[in-house]
Amino acid sequence: MVQYLVRRLVIAVPMLLGAVSIVFFAMRILPGDPCVAMMGDQATTEALADCTRNLGLDRPLAVQYLDYLWRSVQFDFGTSLRQGYPVREYIARMFPHTLVLVVASAIVAALVGIPIGIVSALKRRSPMIDYPLRIFALLGLSMPVFWLGILLLIIFSLHLNLFPLIGGGDLDGVLGMIRSGEALSHPADFLAGVGDVLHHLTLPALALGFTLAATVSRLSRSAMLEVISQDYIRTARAKGQREWAVVYKHAFRNMMVPLLTIIGLFVAIALTGTVLTETVFTRPGLGKMLVDAIGARDYPLAQGAITVFTMIIITVNLVVDMLYAVVDPRITYK
Amino acid sequence: MAIVRGAAPELTTAAVLPDASGQSRGRAWRRYAPIGIGVMMALAMIVMAAGAPLIAPMSPSAQFADAVLKGPGAVERHALGTDEFGRDLLSRIIWGARVSLQVGLASVIFGFALGVPLGILAGVRGDWVETSIMRAADMLMAFPTLLLALIIVTGLGGSLANEILAIGVALTPNFVRLARSLALTIREQDYILAARALGGGQLRVMARHVFPNALYALVVVATLYIATAIRTEASLSFLGLGIPPPTPSWGNILSEGRQYIKCCPWITTFSGLAIMLAVLAFNLVGDALRDLLDPRLRGE
Repeated sequence: MVQYLVRRLVIAVPMLLGAVSIVFFAMRILPGDPCVAMMGDQATTEALADCTRNLGLDRPLAVQYLDYLWRSVQFDFGTSLRQGYPVREYIARMFPHTLVLVVASAIVAALVGIPIGIVSALKRRSPMIDYPLRIFALLGLSMPVFWLGILLLIIFSLHLNLFPLIGGGDLDGVLGMIRSGEALSHPADFLAGVGDVLHHLTLPALALGFTLAATVSRLSRSAMLEVISQDYIRTARAKGQREWAVVYKHAFRNMMVPLLTIIGLFVAIALTGTVLTETVFTRPGLGKMLVDAIGARDYPLAQGAITVFTMIIITVNLVVDMLYAVVDPRITYK
Repeated sequence: MAIVRGAAPELTTAAVLPDASGQSRGRAWRRYAPIGIGVMMALAMIVMAAGAPLIAPMSPSAQFADAVLKGPGAVERHALGTDEFGRDLLSRIIWGARVSLQVGLASVIFGFALGVPLGILAGVRGDWVETSIMRAADMLMAFPTLLLALIIVTGLGGSLANEILAIGVALTPNFVRLARSLALTIREQDYILAARALGGGQLRVMARHVFPNALYALVVVATLYIATAIRTEASLSFLGLGIPPPTPSWGNILSEGRQYIKCCPWITTFSGLAIMLAVLAFNLVGDALRDLLDPRLRGE
């Protein structure tokens, strides 16, 4: 297993380098001069030359590439062209907003998707239970998160006036209170801040969570179907254990092992989902930052955001693979 | 014995057969209904896209100054209402089907044509060829489909061809992986050994034996990827990176309608519904085909 872990770790490094290289070359080699894109066709030759020099685009491509790789490793993605301050700082400010959204959506997806998957598997091919639940999952898979988000906004924000239309709440303030220790000295203010953040988070988390729940329910159903056909489940039933005990003590716990492998896939889908969800709800975050950066032709910012997204996905996949090898010792690297 | 012999058919015809045929009808209905519904929805979309000039009640770009942001049925000629320029929403949605279907089909064909030969080559050849193809595919797979398509479209600019290219490239590693895993199984079969023993070259074995045997699974997955491609196209257009207005695509209609959700929610509602139904149609067909063709995967 140690050999597997080491080889898996070794293979992640070139993958990470490759992915970061793809981002670099996509931004540099594809047609279109970033300076022309930023300044427009009317920009003077001097202004364009200035811009090219400032961005370091006048250097040989190989030098730019090595410089970019070296700086990426240190999370230094340069300076945002529009905002004027380091991309790293901008990403650090936006990351907690995206993290909160992903975690909240994961909770919604797990609370909705796993029970649906389990019930659907236990009542397999039941026209009254399994089929409606599978249709629900299929609808969830087919429903674009941005459309569901807009529908929730129309109903709960515009008509019922229950949730805010835009924004993400004062998460920076809440985090600041935690860091400074004010969360303990001013608990009422802190709780009000947390409440505000949750208030802003509810609809985006529901929108993203429900679309993710569809994937989770299908995968949980498959995992449960696999587990309940095992001999140890038959043994548990033969021992005379009650059905809930069989499901909870034996099936559910074993079902969670294969589910572990989908966490990587889940994070990839969730991060893609945040790009759309944050745009619909006009929430701050890495996804919205990426879309805004692309719209404003702020290449360092866009490059930084995409690189961070990719790094997160590769790292999560690596951690999941390693965890899986620990949980299931039969796994070997081949 | 005669009584027993005589009784059995009676029992069968009177009690067992109707019940059994009722059950099998129910089973057949449950089995074939999803694919039937999916195929009908997908056909409706194809007809809508192909026949847009004939079916759409008016031009998608015609502006009616007297009917700006009118709701469904408020003006008789606009069944689904109008947008901020007074354009007929129904006509725009019908024309928008063209973009979705073109991108959906063409990008999957692109990914299939590029990814399947590479995947089969990797699976059959093995050694360094397999390693390099699979490492490249793994690298691309580190990017979710939308993110990779977004990177490419950002560099190339939003247009129909660029969207097809971007989504096609983003789907390619999925086809590579699937084709390779199928090829790995197929290459161990006796008929491959026989083909090789008969002097079949590697290319011939791949084209004449591996590919046809992998085809059904690849087609099933390709159907599911049409749904992914349609959703990705809509997402790119929604983010303003797809086909630019005034050419109607479901994503850009929805994106433009976002500014008017307070007064005129029908724009986003109907365009989003069109996206969902199109994605659902191909998901239904893909899921049902998989169930029918590969019983091991049934219901998974």
